[in-house]
Amino acid sequence: MNPRSLVAALASAALLVSPAPAAAQSSGGALPMPPPPAGAQRPAGGATTPSAPAASGKPAGAQAAPPATAANGKPAAEGDKPAAEGEAAPKKPDAAAEAAPAAPKKVENAVFDKALQDYFDGDPRAAAGPLYAWLQQAPKTDENYAWGQYFLARSLIDLGLSHAGATYLSRIARERTNPNVIPRALDSLKQLTDRPHDEVMIDEQVFGALDLGFLPEETGAYAHYQQGLVDLRVGNERWANTHFAKLSETSAEASRAKFALLVTRLKSVKEPSEELITDFLGLSKDEKLTREARNEAALAVARLRYERKDYTGALEAYNLVKLPELDPGRASLYLEEAWTRYKLGELRASMGILTTLDAPVFRDEFLPDKYLLRALIYRDLCHYLPAKRAAKELTRRFADSLEAVRSREDLTQDARLRRAADAHGGTQRAARFMELLDSESERLGRYAGSFGDQLFAHLVKMYALSRAEAVRVHDARLAEAVRQEADTLLRAAEQVRLMEYEVGLKLYERVKKGAKVVPPEDEQELSPAQVAFRFSGEYWNDELKSYRVRIESRCIEETP
Amino acid sequence: MRYALLILLFLAPGLARAQAEALENPGAVSAIQERQYRMHHELLLGVGVLPDDAFYKGLVGTVSYTYHFSDTFAWQVGRGTYSYNVQTGLRRQLERDFEVAPTASAYEEQVQWMVGSDLMWSPLYGKLAVLNNKVLHFEAFLLGGGSVVKINRADGFRPAANVGLGMRLFKGDTVSFRLDVTNNVVFTGTRNINNVLSVQLGTAFNFGATE
Repeated sequence: MNPRSLVAALASAALLVSPAPAAAQSSGGALPMPPPPAGAQRPAGGATTPSAPAASGKPAGAQAAPPATAANGKPAAEGDKPAAEGEAAPKKPDAAAEAAPAAPKKVENAVFDKALQDYFDGDPRAAAGPLYAWLQQAPKTDENYAWGQYFLARSLIDLGLSHAGATYLSRIARERTNPNVIPRALDSLKQLTDRPHDEVMIDEQVFGALDLGFLPEETGAYAHYQQGLVDLRVGNERWANTHFAKLSETSAEASRAKFALLVTRLKSVKEPSEELITDFLGLSKDEKLTREARNEAALAVARLRYERKDYTGALEAYNLVKLPELDPGRASLYLEEAWTRYKLGELRASMGILTTLDAPVFRDEFLPDKYLLRALIYRDLCHYLPAKRAAKELTRRFADSLEAVRSREDLTQDARLRRAADAHGGTQRAARFMELLDSESERLGRYAGSFGDQLFAHLVKMYALSRAEAVRVHDARLAEAVRQEADTLLRAAEQVRLMEYEVGLKLYERVKKGAKVVPPEDEQELSPAQVAFRFSGEYWNDELKSYRVRIESRCIEETP
Repeated sequence: MRYALLILLFLAPGLARAQAEALENPGAVSAIQERQYRMHHELLLGVGVLPDDAFYKGLVGTVSYTYHFSDTFAWQVGRGTYSYNVQTGLRRQLERDFEVAPTASAYEEQVQWMVGSDLMWSPLYGKLAVLNNKVLHFEAFLLGGGSVVKINRADGFRPAANVGLGMRLFKGDTVSFRLDVTNNVVFTGTRNINNVLSVQLGTAFNFGATE
């Protein structure tokens, strides 16, 4: 681990820290919503049913006060559009028929009520099409326009089309046509950030650009946190601090903000101070953070202590990482612990961890260091043939990738490097978002019949555009990430070549007269509380952290 | 001498192969784990059957206390079992259709209750995977001890030797489930013995176990 990779790992970890799921907004009457139609049941998909709002708090319902624009048809801007399409039609009749969307028909306001009724009856599939049709013809100034967008978004999210839902929620936040809807939309958006999402559309264009004055505390805190992160990314710590200072000390966002700040500071210091490590240590025990974030903080402590050569302290920090029962854990964590134990002289324990890394669950991990470390351990125990073989294993296993690097091929086409790059950081997030778009596009096909042509065609186009953009973002990140992975591979390959040379010399070294074999180390006896399961190639998840290797040293003790 | 050379000749390839294997893959790997479940003071509540008598079946309830000296050795300090006996169809048929009564001793040897004490040895401790997403720990044990059996007679206290085996499935630090299969060899007379087989399932509560 060098300082550059340490900072890169921590920076990537900071971006990975995902926010805790937001508690659903209380419907305590603070936020008025359109009343559910008579006989409506609970809202589908977790949307809170508003308590019957007072007349003053109720938005203008279609029944109560139909908007003036609705009575006289479409707004002018929309009315012009079909006319323009009508002119183009004679020139390219076939193409126009395929490409141009059907002219929005006049939709009665009763459709909005019916769609709302369907939504509250738990039938978002029936609600989505009519809501979209109503939105197409309703003027944006209609008081219910934002509610229509909101319930269309909720319906789409309930149907598993989270990106489409997020798009409508983002529109509500950006257009701000109805201040009563915005907090609910933001709350729903915040919940969507727990899964792969369009970072530019949600994190930057919505939360990163919000006017924060009017927001409820919880959503406001999240927005402050996001805006602080944006400032940190562009290197403006002072502005970031202005946002972070507004977070309540007891909020989860405050802890996450502190983590982000600490990681940013790491970039600017040459030698991390003890205070910095203590701050990370504090975060590793902060119950307000998610387990993943606490683990990241513990890993940061371990890495910093490793850099300061405090290997015992680093091991203690690794032990702070808590995993769910039977969770195999992360390969990089095992490898780092193996290096730490190697530095402490615990060769057998280190070798045990390398055994863990051979488990099927880690088979596709990109860990060139693993072979190097194994070779080093064998060399230290004077098992030269296995050392040589372990070293060769790296060049054998990564032969294709090394060849691709040497012949200056497009590294993004190398499956192994590509997989490694896709396994962490921004590239991973972009890849996951692409996968989400693919799965949702596939799911969208199921609703072709029930959505109606208009909504279906609109969503197909939306997903196609979003996917194209997601691919562009992913490819840009991938190009940089594969270069870093290739660097790692080349460094490991270089060290392995040195190792092979060194081991080759040792293999043919003459043993001097009177030399003795190094006395074997005392084996640690099993305590009564311990139990041993002999490993025979079958990996059990609960044993992954417990492997120990019994191996004798074959080194010769030179006599003076 | 020739035989010795011949034997060496046959053994040589095997030894060479073993040595080559050790050179290429040195070391042995074991998973060393802290024993996850440890017993100390155990209170067992169980139910079961006495299935082997042709003329009656006993439905039993058992309470016992066991002290565990170590992970492998324990003393079931006391156990008490009460049997609710149900006549079998065979006995009813004999009495009703054939007016043949079994010997008096057959009635008199029905077990009413018994108390006893055993030593337990648990040489096996292991784990098993359930549907590949859960790991269950278990141990298997042998037990042997003595009992006093009250049979269906006025002076019906009889000594008995008890042997058996069982399995414990750990549910957590304080709760485990036990399956016991035991046989009490009851000395009913100077020359007579009566085997009382017992199969029972129980829930064991563990107190005072240390980490």
